[in-house]
Amino acid sequence: MSAFWQALTFQAGYNATLVTLGAVLLGFAAGAVGSFMVLRKRALVSDAMAHATLPGVGLAFILMVALGGEGRNLAGLLAGSAITAGLGLLCVDWITRHTRLAEDAAIGAVLSVFFGIGIVILTMIQTMDGGRQAGLEGFLLGSTAGMLYADALVIAGGGALAVLAVWLLRRPMTMVAFDAGFAQAMGINVRRIDLAMMGLVMGVTVIGLKIVGLILIVALLIIPAVTARFWTERSGAMLWIAGALGALAGYLGAVLSTIAPAMPTGPIIVLIAAGLFLFSLLFAPLRGVAAAVIRHQRFQARVHRRQGLLALARLEPIHDPLTLRTLRRAGLIRADGVATDAGRAEAARAARDERRWDMARFAHQDTALTGRYDGLTPIDAVFTRDQIAGFDRLIGPPQGVQS
Amino acid sequence: MSTAQLSLATAAGQMIAPQPDPDAALSVRGLTVSYADKPAVFSVDASFAAGAMTAIVGPNGAGKSTLLKAALGVIPRLSGEVMVFGQPLAQARARIAYVPQRASVDWDFPTRVIDVVLMGMYRKLGLLGRVRIGHRNAARACLDRVGMADFATRQIGQLSGGQQQRVFLARALAQDADLYMLDEPFAGVDAATEAAIIAVLKSLRDEGRSVIAVHHDLATVADYFDRVLLLNVRRIAEGPIATAFTPAALQSTYGGRLASAQIDQLKLGRT
Amino acid sequence: MPFLHPNRRTLLGGLAVLLTLPRAALSQEQLNVVATTGMIADATRQVGGDRVRVRALMGPGVDPHAYRQTRSDIAATAGSDLVLWHGLYLEAQLEEFLADMTRSRAVVAVANTLPREVLIAHDDYADRFDPHVWMVPHIWALVVDAVRDALIAADPDGAETYTANAAVHQTEIAALAAYATQTLATVPAAARVLVTAHDAFNYFGNAYGFDVVGIQGISTNSEAGVQRITELVDMLVSRQIGAVFVESSVSDRAMRALIEGAGAQGHEVTIGGTLFSDAMGEDGSYEGTYVGMIDHNVTTITRALGGTVADRGMQGRLAA
Repeated sequence: MSAFWQALTFQAGYNATLVTLGAVLLGFAAGAVGSFMVLRKRALVSDAMAHATLPGVGLAFILMVALGGEGRNLAGLLAGSAITAGLGLLCVDWITRHTRLAEDAAIGAVLSVFFGIGIVILTMIQTMDGGRQAGLEGFLLGSTAGMLYADALVIAGGGALAVLAVWLLRRPMTMVAFDAGFAQAMGINVRRIDLAMMGLVMGVTVIGLKIVGLILIVALLIIPAVTARFWTERSGAMLWIAGALGALAGYLGAVLSTIAPAMPTGPIIVLIAAGLFLFSLLFAPLRGVAAAVIRHQRFQARVHRRQGLLALARLEPIHDPLTLRTLRRAGLIRADGVATDAGRAEAARAARDERRWDMARFAHQDTALTGRYDGLTPIDAVFTRDQIAGFDRLIGPPQGVQS
Repeated sequence: MSTAQLSLATAAGQMIAPQPDPDAALSVRGLTVSYADKPAVFSVDASFAAGAMTAIVGPNGAGKSTLLKAALGVIPRLSGEVMVFGQPLAQARARIAYVPQRASVDWDFPTRVIDVVLMGMYRKLGLLGRVRIGHRNAARACLDRVGMADFATRQIGQLSGGQQQRVFLARALAQDADLYMLDEPFAGVDAATEAAIIAVLKSLRDEGRSVIAVHHDLATVADYFDRVLLLNVRRIAEGPIATAFTPAALQSTYGGRLASAQIDQLKLGRT
Repeated sequence: MPFLHPNRRTLLGGLAVLLTLPRAALSQEQLNVVATTGMIADATRQVGGDRVRVRALMGPGVDPHAYRQTRSDIAATAGSDLVLWHGLYLEAQLEEFLADMTRSRAVVAVANTLPREVLIAHDDYADRFDPHVWMVPHIWALVVDAVRDALIAADPDGAETYTANAAVHQTEIAALAAYATQTLATVPAAARVLVTAHDAFNYFGNAYGFDVVGIQGISTNSEAGVQRITELVDMLVSRQIGAVFVESSVSDRAMRALIEGAGAQGHEVTIGGTLFSDAMGEDGSYEGTYVGMIDHNVTTITRALGGTVADRGMQGRLAA
C-alpha cells in the first residue's frame, strides 16, 4: 500500500514519475481533443489514422538506417508516423467524397490496408541486419519501460500545443459539430476546421504512441469524452471534464502499472478509463442509469398517487396494486382500501385541481399556459391566484369526497 | 413583355432570363448544382427583391433547399454567380442570416438554448472574445421576440419541434442581418409556433429587411409572402404574388400533378 | 527423334555425356544445410567444411526469441537436406514451422541433446530451460559435437572429414574457454555484476562467477515494466555499478531509461559496450564467427568492469 501511495505522490522514482507525468498530460490532451471528435461524430476516423501510423514508423526506421543514422531516433519515427497517418486521413476523405462508399466502409478499408502494410514492413525489418531493432512493436501497445526524459518532453510539448489549439478553436469547432450548414453560412470554412480537428487528433495519436500505443490510443480519445457526456449538458464543460477524466485515467493507470511487476501501462490506462465510464453510466446524477431509474420510480409514484386520488374522489374502485401500495404508504387509504380522512381531503384537492384545469383549458386563451397541463402539474404552479379565483367562480364551491 | 405574354411563355415552360436587378437583396444567375452528375438545380436565374418576403415553392425534389444552400455556399455549385446586395457572397456574408432545416441538427447535442443563440453572435465575438452581459441581454431579447425567453437555460433536447424552430429563428435574429434565408421554417411546427414565426418575419420585413423562405404549404403562400419563386430544377416563374403565383405557373411547376380543384382553393393572383 | 539429322543426334548425345561428367568427377555433392541461428551456422561451417553449404535464417542483430519465418526462409528450407536448430525453446515462433519441415527432411535440435546437469532451469516455467548455452565455450563444445553427429547421420560418407574438422574446432573452443576463464578472473570482486537487456547470460554468470541481471527475462517476448526499471535503478545505485551493457539484437531504450534513472539519483552509469547476446556480429567479420563473438563479449566485459585484458582480445583480431 505504501508503494501505491509513493507512486501517487510521484515519489516512486524518476522513471515512474516520468511515465506518470507523461500519461497525465497525454490523457488530458486526448480527452479534450477527443470530445470534439465525438461531438462531430467522426470518432472512428481516429482509429483509421492510428492504425495508419504503423507503416510510417517502419518506413522512417528503414530510411534512417539507410541514411546511416540511428534507426531509433524518436523524432524521426514520429514524423514518419504522422505522415502516413495524414495520408490515411486523406484517403478516407477522398474515398468518402469521390466514391459511393459510406464513411464507415472507407474507415475500415483504410485501417486494415495501412495496418497490413505496416505489419509487412515490420516483418521485413526483423530480418534486416543493419540498425538495431528500435523496438518498433512497442508502438503497438506502448512500452513505457523505455521512457526517457526526451520522450516526456515531446509528450508535454505536443500535448500542450494540442490543448492550446483546442481552446483557440473551441467556438468554430463547436459550431461545426452542432450545425455545419449554419457554420458554413456564417463564413466558417467547415472543411478547414474538420481538417484542423483531425490534425489535432493525429497529433495526439503520434505523441501517444509511446505510452498507450497505436491500437489503444483511440480508446483514450473516445472513452473520456463519452464519459464526460454523462456529467454535463454543456459542450464547453464537456471538453474540460473529458480532459480531466483522461488525465485521471492516465494518472491512476500509470501509477498502477509502475508499482506492479510487468504490467503494461497502455492497457491499464484504458481499463481505468473504461471503469470511469461504467461508473458514470450507472451513477452520474444527470444522465446515469441509476438516476434515470430513480427519476422513473418517482414519476411513477406521482402518477399512481394522482390517479389513485382521482379515483377516490370519483368513488371508483382501485384495482392496480401499485396504486394501492402508493396510497397506503402515504397514509391515504387504510389496509382494506378505504380512504382515510387525510386521503379524502387529498382526493378532494386533487379533484378540484382537475376541475380547475378543465375550466382553464375552456376559458383561458393562452395556449402557452394551458399547454402545460400534463396531469401532474398543480394549477397554482402555472396560473396566478386571481386567475384561479376566476376559474373557481365558474366551477362553483369545493366539493368534499364522500366516505 | 406584357404580363399576358409573360404568363403564356411561362406556361409553355420557356426559360426567360430577367434583367439582373442591382437592388436585389439576393440575385443568382445561371446557378447550377448537381448531385452525382444529376442536376438538382439547373441554370437558375432569380432575383429576390430587397425589403420583401419571398417564398420559394415547388414539389419535392425541386431543388428548393439546394438552391438556398448553394446560394449561401453551404454546398458547392457547379456554375453560376451569386450576388448579395450587389456584392459577391464572400464580402456580404455579414448581412445574411441562415435558418437551416431543423432535421439537419442532432438535438441531443450538449448545449442550452441561450448557447445556441449566442452562436449567432460568432461574428461579433470571434475566436476569443468574452461573452459579456451585453451579449447575453441581446440574446435574451432575441429569445423574447420568439416567445422563448423562459427557456433560456433549457437543454435543446428537451424542446418540442416548434420550440426548436423558434430557437433557430432567435439565433438568426441575433445576427442582426439584412437578409434572412429560411429553409422550411414551418415544417412540423404547431399552429401557435407558425403564427409566432410569421409575425416575427413580417416585422422584419416591416423594418426594411429582406426575407426568403423555402415554403412547403401552397395554401398559405399568398397570406404570408409578397413574392414567390416557382422552382422545379429550373426557374418557372418569379415575381409578386399577383403576377407570378398563377394557375398556369403552378401547373408548370408541379407538372400537372395539382388537380384543378386544388388550384382553385388557393388564393392566387389573377393575370 | 526421327526427324533429327544423324549428326545432330551425335552432338546431343555427346553433350549429355559431357554434362554428367562434372557430377561424376565430384565424388560427393554438397550437403544443403539450413541453420536457424548464426552460431549454429558457424559451427556447421567449421565442422562441415567444403562438404556443406550452410544458410543461416537469422543474421546479425536478429532476435531469435521473436523471429518468424519469411517466404524465402520457407523456400530455402524446402530445398535443404538438413535443418539444424537450437531447441530449448529459443526459436519460440518457429516451432510449428520446424515441426512441418520434419516430415520431409532431417531436422535436428542440437541443443536438445545436452545433458540435464549442464542446463539451468527456467525461472518461470517448470519444464523449461534457459536456452543461452552458447555463452559458455565448454558447454557450446557439446553442441558442436551434436552438430557433428547430425552431419554424420545425414551424410555418412563424410564421417571422417566431419570428425577431423570437429576436433580442430574443439581445440579452438578450448583455447577460447581458457582465455575466458583467465581474463574474467581479473575483474575485481565488487565489480562482478553484469547488467544486460535480457537474461541471456545466466550460463556465463554461473561459469565465471558473475551476478547477472537482465531487464527483460529469458525471452525478449516478456514485457519489462516500469517497476522493474525502478528496482534495477535502486540496485545500480546501492551496489555502485558503473557500467551496463546493451545487446546487438535487442532495443536499448530500456537501458537508456535505466541510466537516466540512475543519473536522477546522482549515480553515473556508462554503457560498457555492446554485447553479442543472441546473435553474432557482421557476416564476414571476426565477430561474425563464434570464436570472435565470445572473444568480443569477454574482452568487452572485462575491460568495462575494470579487469585486465588486451585491447584487441584473444588473438588481436577484434575490431578496434
